[in-house]
Amino acid sequence: MRGVETVIETHALTKKFGDRAAVNGVDLTVPAGVAFGFLGPNGAGKTTMIRTLLGLTQPTSGDVALLGLPQPAKRAEALARVGAIVEEPRFHPHLTGRENLKIVAAARDRAAEGRIAESLERVGLAHRADDRVKTYSLGMRQRLGIARCLLADPALLILDEPMNGLDPAGILDMRRLIRSFVEEGRTVFLSSHLLDEVEKTCDQVAIVDQGVVVVQGAVGEIAAQGEPTLLIEIDDTAAARKVLGGEPRVTHVEDEGASILRLTLGDGLVPAEINRVLVNAGVAVSRLEPARATLEETFLSITSRLGANE
Amino acid sequence: MRLIGAEVLKLVRRRGLMAWSLILTVGTVVTAEVVLVVLHAVNPDHHGPAGGATNLEHTVFIASGLGNIAAILIGATAGTQDVGNGVFRDLVVTGRKRSTLFNVRVPGALAVFLPMLALGLGLAIACSFAFAGDLPNTSGSEVAKYVEYSVAISVVNIVIAVGLAAFASSRVVVGVLIAWNAIVAQLLVQISSLGGVRKFIDTAAAEHFLPLTNDGGSRIAMSSVTALLVLLGWALVFSRGGSWWTSRRDA
Repeated sequence: MRGVETVIETHALTKKFGDRAAVNGVDLTVPAGVAFGFLGPNGAGKTTMIRTLLGLTQPTSGDVALLGLPQPAKRAEALARVGAIVEEPRFHPHLTGRENLKIVAAARDRAAEGRIAESLERVGLAHRADDRVKTYSLGMRQRLGIARCLLADPALLILDEPMNGLDPAGILDMRRLIRSFVEEGRTVFLSSHLLDEVEKTCDQVAIVDQGVVVVQGAVGEIAAQGEPTLLIEIDDTAAARKVLGGEPRVTHVEDEGASILRLTLGDGLVPAEINRVLVNAGVAVSRLEPARATLEETFLSITSRLGANE
Repeated sequence: MRLIGAEVLKLVRRRGLMAWSLILTVGTVVTAEVVLVVLHAVNPDHHGPAGGATNLEHTVFIASGLGNIAAILIGATAGTQDVGNGVFRDLVVTGRKRSTLFNVRVPGALAVFLPMLALGLGLAIACSFAFAGDLPNTSGSEVAKYVEYSVAISVVNIVIAVGLAAFASSRVVVGVLIAWNAIVAQLLVQISSLGGVRKFIDTAAAEHFLPLTNDGGSRIAMSSVTALLVLLGWALVFSRGGSWWTSRRDA
């Protein structure tokens, strides 16, 4: 298991409920040592994918390997080094946080029990460890869920919507925690519908919609797949619009402020050409700023394309 | 063993369950003995000594009957709490086999219940000797039979409750098993036209282990081997059924 380069690998993975495919022929490759975002709108099949990866539900067809080990043949061996939160973290409410960890530690190897105290410390719950879980806030339960994952000393953490229900401070803490796991050489696979969080937290991302992985790769590369845009500040927006209307390679123009326009450029059109066209037409340009496409824009463009293709 | 310890921890931390189970197994015996002792002390002409063979028979009847309800409560809780609290999937993702996670529930429930039953029965037996006065005492073999009966019926009910709990909620399991033990099984045993089929009723098989009363009771005649096999059969059907379904269902 040590030195594995790919921690999750699926080939044509499919999970159907009746005629509906919640996961539809997914080929996914998650490299080791990164935070990997599994991004998609609600109902896209993220949780079903996670449940299928972990063997909580049987796939209809396709292959899964975790930590380089084929599933379900080497399920116990692989899951011994995987920590996971599926959907919201759940616990026995009548037990304390520490007792809940003892329950799961009993199902893991003997070393797991010795990790309870350090896991609680790591997530900042040591001071509440002996309180009953029913008195915990959602944020504390999320952190206790992470502590439960750490009992395995995991090479891979699979977290389903870990930011759900957290306040801004909680989100920041969770982001730091996830990055600290990656710095330790662990891989974190997290599902989310929060684009901003995935962009801030993850190194790599797969965008899923309607059970299909539409695109996967480095966050920056995927964001760059969107059409380039350009912000221009001019003295006369009406005149600029008229000029740009005659340039077919400007595919879209929208107002960004009183004297600012956002242009979507196509077919190799570069900002310098826009500047030349506007100046030649007597429009004074005081700012030209290529705008980096966000993951959100790419995501929306991809998922809206899918919607349009239906 | 660590998994069984975890099952015990989950059960004993349920204050309500533990309180009711203790009341049903030990509290009833204490109450019965106190009442018998007080009645004898207040009016010894009308009420004989609190101990002796007959009083033990009555006390065991109460303790095993109500203790059986405690066994069902504990078994149903052991069988449903992981799934009910949404924790079962977190145990499954440790890589443990689902059948293992199911199979530790019965020993966990027994580890919690049997000490209570032992305390209740022990108290009843001790009181029967301590307060016997001039009444005849129960023989050692009869005491052994009371213990055999109480253990047999409660262990089988715990196994059935755990197995049934794989398919239904704890309330349903408790309701069905109390109704079966208190009403349905008793009625079926009384229907003589069913003949030898009645041997296959678990309560009838368990009653085989009770000492014979003067009138012979209404028990169904069967050998000890048959009674044992019937009880094992019930336990096996429900434990295998529960294990099968737990392994098969989505977590």
